[in-house]
Amino acid sequence: MYEEKSDGELVTEVLNGNDDLFYFLIRRYEKPIFNYIYRLVKHREEAEDLAQETFTKAFFALHQYNHTYEFSTWIFRIALNVCRDHFRRKKFLFFSLNTPVGEEEETEWGDLIEQNSFLDPDGELSNQELREELEKAIDHLPLKFKEVIILRHLEGLSYNDISRITNLPVGTVKTYLHRARKKLREELKDYLD
Amino acid sequence: MDREEEKLVKYLESLPRFEAGEDFADQVMCHIEERKKRPSYAPYKKWVVVALAAIFLLLVFLSDLPLLPRLEISPSLGYRKVELVFYSPAQNPRTVAVAGEFSSWDPLPMNRVNEECWKIQVELKPGKYQYGFLIDGEEWIADPASLRQVPDGFGKFNSVLVVNGEYSS
Repeated sequence: MYEEKSDGELVTEVLNGNDDLFYFLIRRYEKPIFNYIYRLVKHREEAEDLAQETFTKAFFALHQYNHTYEFSTWIFRIALNVCRDHFRRKKFLFFSLNTPVGEEEETEWGDLIEQNSFLDPDGELSNQELREELEKAIDHLPLKFKEVIILRHLEGLSYNDISRITNLPVGTVKTYLHRARKKLREELKDYLD
Repeated sequence: MDREEEKLVKYLESLPRFEAGEDFADQVMCHIEERKKRPSYAPYKKWVVVALAAIFLLLVFLSDLPLLPRLEISPSLGYRKVELVFYSPAQNPRTVAVAGEFSSWDPLPMNRVNEECWKIQVELKPGKYQYGFLIDGEEWIADPASLRQVPDGFGKFNSVLVVNGEYSS
């Protein structure tokens, strides 16, 4: 029954004191939010902690949620801020905004990729090497590019949504995406020919 | 978007999605319940800020404390280099530090010249400063080489350093 309610209706119910219904909002967004955070921090425990922090913050800030925007945009924005705070805490922010995050967990990353989960759009991407190269190339992107490329191409969000989440003008979002894709193409040129 | 870019986008969209543990939502709800039980000071936060601001303004207007920054063209302007020397053939200490009004009575370790002599150079504005020496980290004494001394209020004496120049006493 509650699964069928819209985000806005669930938020209203929670704000009216039915706190338990927040569970359904978590269930609805845990996958994209966890995937997004995990792809930024590349560490399972940290990603779970940050995802938990994201939903907890959202719960306690729910009265600030503006119903004119999508709940999904709002929760992604909280996730992004939680991740940025996380990097700041780890004194990575300055480093990460300009240069790639280190490759110290590359092995773990490789281990976590599910062998059979990668689709094969052109009948030629079933190869493990290419997949790993793509993961590595994303990993090499500066954080600001990585944020938008994941939101756009892995979470499938619109330019406007990304603009609201990252607090960047739509034009800047497009520029970042263009530059990010250019960098990825450069790194993967052997596979894209 | 050319063919290469289209290919890249397809590859990106095909990347695997990662998922949290199965009981993730339950864990978050437990975490929220725990957080609810913690006392929240948020409603009082603004009153605390207002009270602190009021106290600060009272201190600014009703006390002589130097709470507002003073405009100085150069921070080093008006300072004098002063060398303080501790000389005592009888004492033979292991460490000597000087502390005074110029250091807010924080001990400044002195440099050993030889067994009897210790020195330190400080930059001070013209004025009068009470000071004393801390011998081996425990014994406070006035400067044995100075006759300018005033009672320290605890039955002993502080020495008085006068830095020449314009100053208000």
